[in-house]
Amino acid sequence: MKGWINGIGWVTPAGFGCGRENTQQPLCNGTLEIPKRKQVFAKADMRFGRLDEFSRVGLAAIAFCLRDAGTEEWDEKRSIGIVAASRYGCLQTDLAYLDTLLPEQGKLASPNLFAYTLANSFLGEAALRFGLTGNTLVFNHAETTALAPLCYALEELEWGGQQAIIAGICDLPAPAEFSSENETPGSLFVLLSKKPPVGQSAYGALELRAGKLIFSGEPVTDLSALIAACLTAEK
Amino acid sequence: MMRVVISRAATVTALGDGLDSLWDGLMAGQTGIAPFDRFSSDNYISDYAACIENLAAPPGTSLLDPLLERVATQIGALPADCRFLVASTKGEVDLLTQVRREEQQLPDAVLFEALIEKIAKRFSLKTTGYNINAACASSTLAVARAAAMISAGVADAVLVYAADLVSEFVFSGFSALQALSDQPCRPFDSQRNGLTLGEAGVALLLTSEKYADQQNEKPLAVVAGWGVANDAHHVTAPARDGCGLILACQQALEKADIDPSAVAAINAHGTGTIYNDAMELTAFNKIFGDFLPPLHGVKGSLGHCLGAAGGVEIAVACRALQEQQIPGTIGCKNPEAAAQGQISESPQPISGDYLLCSNSGFGGINATVILQGVTS
Repeated sequence: MKGWINGIGWVTPAGFGCGRENTQQPLCNGTLEIPKRKQVFAKADMRFGRLDEFSRVGLAAIAFCLRDAGTEEWDEKRSIGIVAASRYGCLQTDLAYLDTLLPEQGKLASPNLFAYTLANSFLGEAALRFGLTGNTLVFNHAETTALAPLCYALEELEWGGQQAIIAGICDLPAPAEFSSENETPGSLFVLLSKKPPVGQSAYGALELRAGKLIFSGEPVTDLSALIAACLTAEK
Repeated sequence: MMRVVISRAATVTALGDGLDSLWDGLMAGQTGIAPFDRFSSDNYISDYAACIENLAAPPGTSLLDPLLERVATQIGALPADCRFLVASTKGEVDLLTQVRREEQQLPDAVLFEALIEKIAKRFSLKTTGYNINAACASSTLAVARAAAMISAGVADAVLVYAADLVSEFVFSGFSALQALSDQPCRPFDSQRNGLTLGEAGVALLLTSEKYADQQNEKPLAVVAGWGVANDAHHVTAPARDGCGLILACQQALEKADIDPSAVAAINAHGTGTIYNDAMELTAFNKIFGDFLPPLHGVKGSLGHCLGAAGGVEIAVACRALQEQQIPGTIGCKNPEAAAQGQISESPQPISGDYLLCSNSGFGGINATVILQGVTS
């Protein structure tokens, strides 16, 4: 199973970015800045300001990823899916929603916040903005390498009819009860395509062999190592 | 490619424990929707839900625990190498609400990884699973994923476990969105005005046909095709032209390698909201033209069971193919004209090998599974 890494984008404590404009892999511990509309989209976007923080972080990283791949603009909808892994999902939004629900026994429950208490809502935001008609899902999975969404995406590419899948991770900083020094909050997505891009070179081909990911002939140990290798390959 | 079958199904719904009880209730036209007292509905636009009878948990724990137990006792011992997928939109959200109300620290149990571990332990599964969150299409999508894994030969057996609760969290949200009906929901009725929430736990064991043979399993149905697509239209509203559902159905038909005319019946999502049901009828009319097969929805009996809805409906569809009948659509007294006379409050006979199940959800997601009867 093989896919071409055609784009990388992120919102992490290292900042906001596209792969081709950077040399350092961005997954790290630290303070996560929640992006504002102007930092992501040049044009007005009424909905962005209404999004919860989880959705803003995830949507922005997807936007940067597609921009990096040169596929942000579109005329016709495309069979591109999104697979996002998340440990906490929209837990912070759930808590914010509960803070509108509990004080007045439901009288002041926020319909706008409720709409984002599904972890996959931001994928819908991305799908409608970028015309993505593929399979879109969030999966919750306890693993530390953050490679599971890439494996999932490569299998989907092999087994289904999608031309590409945006795969990655999205998490806000952990609630105090769960936080640890090893947390790398934020969002990072790669665009995995069946074909290499037109007009620019791919970062390289990512393969899934016997359950292991291989990039440029070398085994991949975790997502940060993969991104570091991609950014090195690009330079 | 391996042929994939559903070997076992276990359900717990407002119509009782087990597929027999569920099927009998549906065919008898029963409904589990009733006024409830799990929490106060004084400030919400409805006081109806389809709650599971005698579902109770000690303080500090979730109702998902006894629900898991009641499903697990039905499904029996699983193959040692069985993989598993969980499909839940909100997990232990009742516990999350409780601890937030009491201003306690969040326990690990509110994270999906804890729920996944609990499910693995209860089913004695040694493999690593994950939770699929695709809103109200979660379990349909999980069945599609399980079928793809088995079909590609990366797994012999996959358990799909799906569960969601009637919780104040979700109830208040749908109320705030004005999406709840003030009366029991009326899927596909011309006077429908919203959904009614329900809850369920369901387990489906999918295996390769060969593996089922080797293990002396008696398959309930073949998973012949599946498809998943996004509307790319809106986060909470379906695309009025049904574009995503049409795409998902076309993928499933292609995978099953059948023409639409081979589909004997449809188990539709049928939430009872104005826009969802209209969208579905638009999509089905586009796919089937003037020859829409008999269709039905179960949410007038079971309420909308969120992430578990698709799993329950696929279990019902297995039985429908065996019995060559579909249950009536409770609450549908005056069907929409676009249903072409193919929907009824009473059970309908069907004739054929294939049944199409579909679910759609927030985030614009649509998932379709086509089942084939095992006798063919």
